[in-house]
Amino acid sequence: MKTIDNGGLADLAQTLAGAGYRVAAPIDDGGVVRLRQWLTGSRIALDAVPVNSIKDFLFPRSEAVARFALGEKDFTSLPVEPAAPKTAVLGARPCDAAALAALDAVFNWDYRDGTFNARRAATTVVSLACARADEHCFCTSVGGKPDGTAGADAILRSAEGGQRFVFEALTDKGRALEAAAGNQLAEGAAQADAPAQLKKRFDPEAVGRWLAANFDSPFWKEESLACLGCGACAYACPVCHCFDLQDESDKKECRRLRNWDSCGFGQFTLHASGHNPRPDQAARWRQRVMHKFSIYPQKFKTLACTGCGRCSRLCQAGMALAQTCERIEALGR
Amino acid sequence: MMEALRQEAAKLLQEKRAALVIGFADRPGRPALFVSKPEDCGALVYDAACRQNLAAYLGKPEIRARLPVALVAPPAVLRSIVVLTAESQAAAGQVLALAVDRDAFLGTFDASRAGELLRAKYPDLAPEPALLERVRELSRMSASERAAFWQEQFAKCTRCYACRAACPGCYCNRCIVEKNAPQWVSTAALGHGNYTWNVMRAFHQSGRCTLCGACEAACPQGLPLMTLNAALDREALEAFGSRAGYDPEAKPMIGSWNTDDDHSYMR
Amino acid sequence: MKTEISDAAAPASAAFEPQITAFVCNWCTYAGADLAGTSRLQYAPNMRIIKLPCTGRIDPLFVLKAFENGADAVLVSGCHPGDCHYTSGNYHARRRWTMFRKLLALTGIGEDRLFFSWVSAAEGQKFADLVNDVTAKVRKAGPFRATNPGRRA
Repeated sequence: MKTIDNGGLADLAQTLAGAGYRVAAPIDDGGVVRLRQWLTGSRIALDAVPVNSIKDFLFPRSEAVARFALGEKDFTSLPVEPAAPKTAVLGARPCDAAALAALDAVFNWDYRDGTFNARRAATTVVSLACARADEHCFCTSVGGKPDGTAGADAILRSAEGGQRFVFEALTDKGRALEAAAGNQLAEGAAQADAPAQLKKRFDPEAVGRWLAANFDSPFWKEESLACLGCGACAYACPVCHCFDLQDESDKKECRRLRNWDSCGFGQFTLHASGHNPRPDQAARWRQRVMHKFSIYPQKFKTLACTGCGRCSRLCQAGMALAQTCERIEALGR
Repeated sequence: MMEALRQEAAKLLQEKRAALVIGFADRPGRPALFVSKPEDCGALVYDAACRQNLAAYLGKPEIRARLPVALVAPPAVLRSIVVLTAESQAAAGQVLALAVDRDAFLGTFDASRAGELLRAKYPDLAPEPALLERVRELSRMSASERAAFWQEQFAKCTRCYACRAACPGCYCNRCIVEKNAPQWVSTAALGHGNYTWNVMRAFHQSGRCTLCGACEAACPQGLPLMTLNAALDREALEAFGSRAGYDPEAKPMIGSWNTDDDHSYMR
Repeated sequence: MKTEISDAAAPASAAFEPQITAFVCNWCTYAGADLAGTSRLQYAPNMRIIKLPCTGRIDPLFVLKAFENGADAVLVSGCHPGDCHYTSGNYHARRRWTMFRKLLALTGIGEDRLFFSWVSAAEGQKFADLVNDVTAKVRKAGPFRATNPGRRA
């Protein structure tokens, strides 16, 4: 068993950086906790769920997927090497780690996404078991746990009221990181604190059954009234993965960019003909819920939601997936 | 105060002066609440945690289909209703304000009477001192320091458009970023597109922003959007004597002109 | 609207030559520029002119687009107040520019990068002097690409 002091995490990050890892950690960035690259002096902040997730490091908001040099009369294809540096995510939430399985499934379904896979292979996830949950968390409702290890290569569990952490490597990548950490991780034992207690709020199977049978329900109209159709929830979600391809060019070069997209946007399904199969927010909110709790599980045998709560934590209008699911379950009874 | 607010809301619904009341629910984060039955008005609350500008809902076709609508409105939101009326986005009597100010309920106002109330009781609404200090701090920087500051801030922007969704002034059916023949504004969350998006959005609000702060509150990344809006608010006042949302008959500041407008910077 | 100019053309050791984009109105400034040409007045060749019917047509977005594509500076020029071919286009533009230049200054694009002028069809000399003056100022300010917050990488 290995342990590390709470105050030692910065030194661990430094050591891992020295060993060639790009280290990402939840950082206090002017009052906002953001999962981003740790640099000397960054303040690691572990008491709040960061506004973003590991997804940012595997599937960035915007990246070039093709490049062409433009000549007088023709063009030549330029290589696109996705930057996939060896990365250690230090202090990820178990719900973020659990989301990786859902991303792996869709990015290796009908097409194996080389960019995603390269980054995935280069990333080592060290989870931090949650000792506390807030009112937006609902991991236990979707098959997760505050100290779950799904998707993690190693896990830190707080001990002695948060003064120390117990480190446990879970995979080969985790063991490689443990070796690279050297004496930042001390041999020794400690009693891990109890993880957060989080009551199940709904049964996703019951929700899935209702969804499959109630596509035309008037429920969606009232339930979606508060939604203003921005992309905050989809972008913050560790599982959401929809994207839009845009070509940008200047005289010398054309780049095909892959940018995040959100099914909440009014024009997400707008056809060139002008027809929009999801013409109102009710249809779009229904799609969001169904995708996560009905369509995706049917296809990939996993929910497209890990209960991290970012969507409701960040929603300015108070939309909340967990609440919608609770209401659906009540309707189903 | 809340009892008075709830009773008035119920009365509006009973008397069919409103088909829908939009307020805030008594839950963490103060989600928007939509009430169509008088007996449900007891669920309405209002306090400092209510940061959404409910006038943003007037941009939703689903809400426009249920006019007349009454919204819980602190002074900044009263101004928004007046701006939307001046811009022909709200017809007379179709949008009512349940005016609130901190812990006082001030009564029901249509756009015209809201303008009167604002001119009488809140004639000088301005950015809060802390916000003005942010503008001053920015002004003290050199051009390249300002550029570096905003590059760092805008690098965090993910182009989720929560700012646009939160703003009652952003009601275009198709936003400029959603027009792709040609694509004027890059949709990538990269430096140039983020700069253009945030700067153009601030510009499109000049003379129209009512300083409600909903954009900054909505931004998941914590961008200091109000710094730009507050600076433009003061510029509109100093250069053109313009205050957004005080007169439902006023001509829009950026759409009108005077022969003696300043042009000292023109060569 | 491709106003970006390849910097591969300039040899590394050459002195900095500013790339300036000018948005001008057809009836006054463009005619004034034409007059400068027919009068054989010499002026710096660094400005690329984009002609529009009226300054009232200039969306501030065009200015940002020029900076995005690598302009070191932008000039906007039109008819004097009262002389607009469309009566009030330049009055609308003037109001817009007051707000827009404030916004750009606050975000790092200052008055050493963004210029405005009124040049009439008869002011060929003024146009030539203006171009020379602006070009000299921008040459002194240096290349903008390093600190331009809106430039495409």
